[in-house]
Amino acid sequence: MIITIDGKACECEKGEFLLQVAKRNGIDIPTLCHHDGLPGQAACRVCLVEVKDGGRSQVTASCVFPVDHEIEVSTNSRKVKEERGMVLALLRMRAPGSEVIANMCEAYGAPKIGRLKPVVDGDKCILCGLCKRACASLGNGAIETLMRGTQKYVGTPYDQPSADCIGCGSCAEVCPTGAIEMKDEKGVRTIWGSEFRLVYCRECGKLIGTEEYMKAAGNTDDLCDDC
Amino acid sequence: MADKILKEIIDRYPRERRYALAVMQDMQRHYSYIPREGLELLAGHVGCKVAELYSMATFYKALSLKPRGKHIIKLCNGTACHIRGSVNLINGINRELGIAPGETTEDGEFTLELVNCLGSCALAPVMVVDETYYGKMTLEKLPSILGEYRKEAK
Ligand code: SF4
Ligand code: FES
Repeated sequence: MIITIDGKACECEKGEFLLQVAKRNGIDIPTLCHHDGLPGQAACRVCLVEVKDGGRSQVTASCVFPVDHEIEVSTNSRKVKEERGMVLALLRMRAPGSEVIANMCEAYGAPKIGRLKPVVDGDKCILCGLCKRACASLGNGAIETLMRGTQKYVGTPYDQPSADCIGCGSCAEVCPTGAIEMKDEKGVRTIWGSEFRLVYCRECGKLIGTEEYMKAAGNTDDLCDDC
Repeated sequence: MADKILKEIIDRYPRERRYALAVMQDMQRHYSYIPREGLELLAGHVGCKVAELYSMATFYKALSLKPRGKHIIKLCNGTACHIRGSVNLINGINRELGIAPGETTEDGEFTLELVNCLGSCALAPVMVVDETYYGKMTLEKLPSILGEYRKEAK
């Protein structure tokens, strides 16, 4: 099947997501909450595109839009620019401390909205939920979204170190805005209020992970994947 | 022992994740809050993580992680009640009981909660104590209503 994205003919399979097809064809669509390993999030709406289908057109999130027949897609129409700009402007209020979002606002021309105030000054989190899904998908489930509404945040139960956390750092790794603090220093990792001893490959010296992570992964010989 | 009662509450339900909320409601009813131990036991019982249950417990207004008073005062601060002076009532209750929204009196008798609509705007401003509705509330009515519950306590 062939669809057109920004005038370019793109080959694709039925059921593939628009974002996937665009990426494969070298067409830039900004994303925040999309992660190839944890698809279907669709929380940030930064990946908006306009889909023209016959006489109708709709602006929709490309990361979860499955292609099932021939359509015409625009990633930069006036409508897309307007709506994406507003989404980014609002995200900037949600996460005023995020450099990633500030840069995106700049790059994609987000309007300034003076009548709104940041939810929490300096906050970087857009509450996309990617981190908790990463944690849960690894079977740890140490962090969750807590509270609701304007008070919602990501954290551990009782805001205390969690016995379920193995310090793998996956949450910090998938976070699109760098909102999760993780520090590796002098052989110790600090994350979510816990400290973990780091393990390095005994052959090449590369960092493999924390002791708890090694146990969970069943790695007993202290060798990294390459050695 | 708290532990035993907790176990009893939990064991009333099958070991399935979908009963978690019902168990937490039972704990809430019995203790007026959900003890940490209860969350941990429940996670083991239904086979999920504490974080998941904690997330639910912080999401629902009906669940609390801190002990609540014997009597729950729900004061509506929805649009209609707000316009009709619910803020005065907040101050009034503060004068009577010395608590702000979200707080519990030291003797553990009363907890004050603000809610966003009780679906009875025609009666605005509305206050609910436990299960009893008090409509068209005024500052003047406050002392006698609260007094009733105080008496009951003694
Ligand atoms: S911490 Fe990062 S990954 Fe987690 S919800 Fe916030 S923005 Fe998303
Ligand atoms: S990347 Fe599509 S909604 Fe976030």
